[in-house]
Amino acid sequence: MAGPLAPERTPGTTSREESELDRPWVTVVWDDPVNLMTYVTFVLQELFGYDEPTATELMLQVHNEGKAIVSSGPRERMEHDTNRLHAYGLWATFQRDT
Amino acid sequence: MRPFRRRGDQVIARLVDAEASIVGLLLDQLEQLLTADPDDARGDPVLDRLLPSGHEDVDVAAEYRGLTEPALREGKADDLAMVRATLPPQGGEVRLDADQARAWLRTTNDLRLALGTRLGVTADTEPPEDPAGEEGSQLTVYYWLTAVQGSLVDALAAGRDGRR
Repeated sequence: MAGPLAPERTPGTTSREESELDRPWVTVVWDDPVNLMTYVTFVLQELFGYDEPTATELMLQVHNEGKAIVSSGPRERMEHDTNRLHAYGLWATFQRDT
Repeated sequence: MRPFRRRGDQVIARLVDAEASIVGLLLDQLEQLLTADPDDARGDPVLDRLLPSGHEDVDVAAEYRGLTEPALREGKADDLAMVRATLPPQGGEVRLDADQARAWLRTTNDLRLALGTRLGVTADTEPPEDPAGEEGSQLTVYYWLTAVQGSLVDALAAGRDGRR
């Protein structure tokens, strides 16, 4: 799979994400050579209700930096979000926020 | 192929005979893979991509898989059945409502993931120079599916913008 696996947080996070950094769990979407950029944007809007600019920004972060945090909150909800992303074929994982 | 376009609440495309046959064959292959004996299919990179690990820790991932994989497989089987039911076997018009369009979206993505993984597609992969060769023909199918799915995404996104 494409994309660096460096553990450090990637720069350029939005203010929304920064306000949620104290939450314990996150859902991460990883870059993938197959999924269309328009498709990833569409799915992020569909599943999380992001407006088009926010979804596009997250998609570009996945594309350019290898990954992006797309949601954060309690572990059970992150497991659920990961599952919903898998149903759409996105490469997603949940983890404790670092 | 006439790509997907929005008309009212529906999206409509048109496939020729050969295109509908190829989609039918790919659906059969996907179904075989998803219904294969887990022991036979273990380690298959395509299956690993379609049913990915949810966590980097092996034990957490295994527990998560046990809880979520049956429903994930069931969803894929339901989508596959819906695509089959709306695919004109001899070609012709594909007319989809919102739920059917989501099933096509997810299934064409799975077909592209499967083909792309088998062919080792990377970000640098380009359309084949020799479409007639064995690898060339599969890559041609991959790019054709990309066009189908791309038009479907655009048609659905256009509908969402229109509702604002």
